[in-house]
Amino acid sequence: MREQLEQIRSRALAELAAEATESAIEDVRVRVLGRAGELTEIMRGMREVPAQERPAIGQLVNQIKTELEARIEALQGKLKEAALERSLTEARLDVTLPGAKIPRGHLHPITLTIENMLRIFNAMGFEIVATRDIEDDFHNFAALNFPPDHPAREMQDTFFLGGGLLLRTHTSNGQIRVMEQRRPPLAIVCPGNCYRRDELSVRASPMFSQIEGFMVDRAGRITMAHLKGVLTEFLRAFFGSDTAVRFRASFFPFTEPSAEVDISCLLCGGKGCRICKHSGWTEILGSGMIHPNVLRAVGYDPAEYQGFAFGLGVDRTALLRLGVEDMRLFFENDVRFLGQFPASNERFA
Amino acid sequence: MKLPLSWLAEFVTVEAEVEEICRRLTVAGVEVENIARVRPAFSDVVVARVLKTERHPNADRLSLCEVEAGPVGRFSVVCGAPNVRAGMITAYARLGSRLMSGVHGQGGVEAIEQAPPLQAAVIRGIKSDGMLCSERELGLSQEHQGILELDEGESGADLASALYLDDTVLEIAITPNRGDCLSVLGLAREVAALFGVKLKEIRLRPGKALKPGSDQVTIAVGIDAPDLCPRYAALPMAAVKIGPSPIWMRRRLELAGMRPINNVVDTTNYVMLALGQPLHAFDYGKLAGGKIIVRRAGNDREITTLDGIQRALMPDDLVIADAEKPVAIAGVMGGGNSEVGAETNTILLESAYFEPMTVARTGRRLALRSEASYRFERGIDREGQVRALYMAAEIIRKIAGGREAGPIVDVDARPAPPREIVLEPGAIGSLLGVELPTAEVSRRLKSLGAWVTSGGKGKLIVAPPSFRPDLNEPADLAEEVARLNGLEEIPAAAPDRRSAAPAAEDPSRIFARASREVMLGCGLTEIKSIAFVASDDNQAYPGIGTGKPVRVANPISAELSELRCSLIPGLVTALRFNLNRQAGAFHGFEIGRVFAMDGEQAAEFERIAGIGYGEYAMGTIGRESISADFFMIKGIVESYLESIPGLAPRSFVAPGATSLAFLHPGKSAAISIEERQIGYLGELHPRAASHLELATPCVIFELDLTAILAYAAAKGRRVELPPRFPAVRRDLALVVEQALPADKVLKTIRESSSNLLESVRLFDVYEGGSLPTGRKSVGIACLYRARDRTLTDSEVNRAHAELIERVRVGLGAELRH
Ligand SMILES: [Zn+2]
Repeated sequence: MREQLEQIRSRALAELAAEATESAIEDVRVRVLGRAGELTEIMRGMREVPAQERPAIGQLVNQIKTELEARIEALQGKLKEAALERSLTEARLDVTLPGAKIPRGHLHPITLTIENMLRIFNAMGFEIVATRDIEDDFHNFAALNFPPDHPAREMQDTFFLGGGLLLRTHTSNGQIRVMEQRRPPLAIVCPGNCYRRDELSVRASPMFSQIEGFMVDRAGRITMAHLKGVLTEFLRAFFGSDTAVRFRASFFPFTEPSAEVDISCLLCGGKGCRICKHSGWTEILGSGMIHPNVLRAVGYDPAEYQGFAFGLGVDRTALLRLGVEDMRLFFENDVRFLGQFPASNERFA
Repeated sequence: MKLPLSWLAEFVTVEAEVEEICRRLTVAGVEVENIARVRPAFSDVVVARVLKTERHPNADRLSLCEVEAGPVGRFSVVCGAPNVRAGMITAYARLGSRLMSGVHGQGGVEAIEQAPPLQAAVIRGIKSDGMLCSERELGLSQEHQGILELDEGESGADLASALYLDDTVLEIAITPNRGDCLSVLGLAREVAALFGVKLKEIRLRPGKALKPGSDQVTIAVGIDAPDLCPRYAALPMAAVKIGPSPIWMRRRLELAGMRPINNVVDTTNYVMLALGQPLHAFDYGKLAGGKIIVRRAGNDREITTLDGIQRALMPDDLVIADAEKPVAIAGVMGGGNSEVGAETNTILLESAYFEPMTVARTGRRLALRSEASYRFERGIDREGQVRALYMAAEIIRKIAGGREAGPIVDVDARPAPPREIVLEPGAIGSLLGVELPTAEVSRRLKSLGAWVTSGGKGKLIVAPPSFRPDLNEPADLAEEVARLNGLEEIPAAAPDRRSAAPAAEDPSRIFARASREVMLGCGLTEIKSIAFVASDDNQAYPGIGTGKPVRVANPISAELSELRCSLIPGLVTALRFNLNRQAGAFHGFEIGRVFAMDGEQAAEFERIAGIGYGEYAMGTIGRESISADFFMIKGIVESYLESIPGLAPRSFVAPGATSLAFLHPGKSAAISIEERQIGYLGELHPRAASHLELATPCVIFELDLTAILAYAAAKGRRVELPPRFPAVRRDLALVVEQALPADKVLKTIRESSSNLLESVRLFDVYEGGSLPTGRKSVGIACLYRARDRTLTDSEVNRAHAELIERVRVGLGAELRH
């Protein structure tokens, strides 16, 4: 019996040599350790072994079983490791292939420009108020000191809708809408679409975006100096801290004094080029102290309150920032153009 | 306004470079848009007088001339012009001068230098020292019949200067409030004030009238509408010979942007450009009764204007009439019936003040604009009428041979009321934010022509000049004071804001911004489209609401005659644009306003809409891509609605037969919250898709942002702790009618269950196979859980069995095994 066991052991160990294959190992396991295996057979034949030898033989069987099991485990572990190693070298992906994904969309440059501007104004303490596109003559013109038949109305060719309504030609109606409802102190910006009878072309569009802003407080508290301070701060925040800002006298019916605001040309930095007509300056927004007639129209006493207002054209500013010259790009929605803009309004820097 | 600097120099002299003048004007609100240098088409040509002529001994048509050119010298010239004669003043090109052959019109400086210098020539045996020039040879006109003939001129003077050919022209944008700057005088006043110099005095005196009995005429002027025309002055001139104007006049008008007509009309235009006062010349002989009546048109219904067009008059239009009929539309255009022509001998010059509003209203209605109406509309000098007649008379005497045929008739029917603005001390400083001494304020206002006196206690009483109707209150004066030194004088300061509360933002904007972020994450690119569409677009895509489209009363074109009812036409246009440029897929969205009639009133609504076409989720090796279809767009809409906190439950319902006709009837849904439709989604109707030449399904959605915002109104949100006890899942396969919506199945299950059912989810829909036609099998996972204990198998089994029984009855469903 002992010799038989020793034979089984040595044969199995020989077969479980270092280079044994998975199937060879399995063969040994089934033949020796399986349910009908050699060791099981021996255990079954124990009855024929003399009683005093039985414990020793049983111990030997268990010893051989443990030894072979350990050997098999070790061999299988090695084989698995080898198989893994093999598969790792075989299953190499082309990591340059794209991921499986839904490509993100992109924001429209006009939206981006508006949001960037509003972020700055908001941080400067301006409240953001949305107002309406469809207006009446009073809120778009009369209250803003455009008398009927006044040539100033021709600066803005209007779309009429019937019933005394029109499409606003500027976001300045926001001044009237807000001031009718509220009392100073006010610091407000009103973004929105405006409409003028211009065909869509390189330079113009019948629909465009503006941001109107105004700050009103007791007389003497908000002056032309503050207008300059606020707009200079805004323009430097938006265009860069080295931007030169110039204020020059102008005319708008709803402000007095009025000022056009120029910034140093973004292309040439002020040296003069084709884009700035060799002046070194680019006209960027209109502004001024709110006209006393506008204050009267909303029921404010000009002796009691004063403030400034400004209007900023978003589309033209966006063109300037992007360094392109064609307004139509904004409304064609060519994905090859739009795809170049960020995929989120949240900024990473 | 175009301003030749040679003309400006007649009114003011400034020691400054052109660029500096332009810069100062621009920052002061008189924007110089362009500086153009103009040059003659010749060099070194001088004014000369022909002393004597004699026939060329060897040629009949040639003359030998002796010309005298002052300090330049005396010369012998051979000339072939038929008009050459002793005593005439003409143009002499001396040896070495250069000519641009004349045919190229105005030549550049460079071109002139390339022209060959004139050399002495021997013509038919006689030497010619230079030549006498025709207008064509000088590049002035095509005239080549004879040599240039000047009315006057100093021998030896540079011809280019004498004819204003060497000049710089400023192009100036004049804002509508500054009608006073629409003249050389006005701009000269501005320059004088900016540079602190005085205007040159221009002496304008009445000429000597003819003696009674000769050509003298009588004229009666009456103003019947003093509210529209407060002042009317008229001057008759006789013995006028109509003809072309001299070159210097034609040249000036052309440089200023006007076309020369004849010497009388040119004079009225010249004076208007010089002084800003529009003038009109009538043929006196055509005025019935020698009368001028300024009145409303009343019963006169039409007039044929100078351009030969018959114009309809409204009763309130202001006209100039003679004893019988209207002869001009006041300030807008003269009538053909009183036009000055070649036969005219006696003219009547009109110089009037018409109220801006009447000229603007009539001009706009007739779509008739002129240099004159442009000035009247902006407000001319209230006191400038007589002075302009003096200047015109002087010029006409000189260039058209006329004489005053009577005194100026000046009717001042409504004298200008005196204007006074009281400036409180510090008023200007508190508006501008910079302190200016009263004396300085006073000095600046005076330099602009205002009459300034002290009102005591630091007050100033300011009477603005008659040519500045735009100055009416202290703010107007503040602008004048500020702009004179440039706005640089005002410091930039930070406002002192009392409230430190963070600035609020409009809720609809916050909502739109968050919505955009979700759309970007869902793979849609933002587009922007123009709100104007064709009527067909609104019919095809009527949007969510039921209001009629809003029509534009004055559209740019028929294709843009209505305001969009929906954002879909813009998205479809963007899709087509990109497909035409080889894009294989397009996924876009827009947030914007749409418009519809709300009863009789046009109203606006906020929308968000999207479109999907072609590959959506990118595939990769061993993984299929996903293309746009119904469930893709529904997934986007669901993701979007789920991202809105606290949004009320919404339902998707297959559309009725008549609604959403632009969508595939079987692959579309109306979206509602609490029975109110807030939007729709689905595949574009195959007919529309084939019309758009789309090869694969195109899916769209549109949602009412305002409504969603209202339903999302943030309620206090409660947070539930994650459950502590395990859930038990039981699946269920039900065979139901094919048409039964899954939504209905789930809803029935939810309503039938005990409170142990935590959630129910549909995981499979199966049709065909062993199932009878018209039936489908739905696989449903039910999750049971109690919050306070672990459920036993028997508890779950009991609950599930009860649920199955109720659902089977409720839906007429069979259990499938
Ligand atoms: Zn530049």
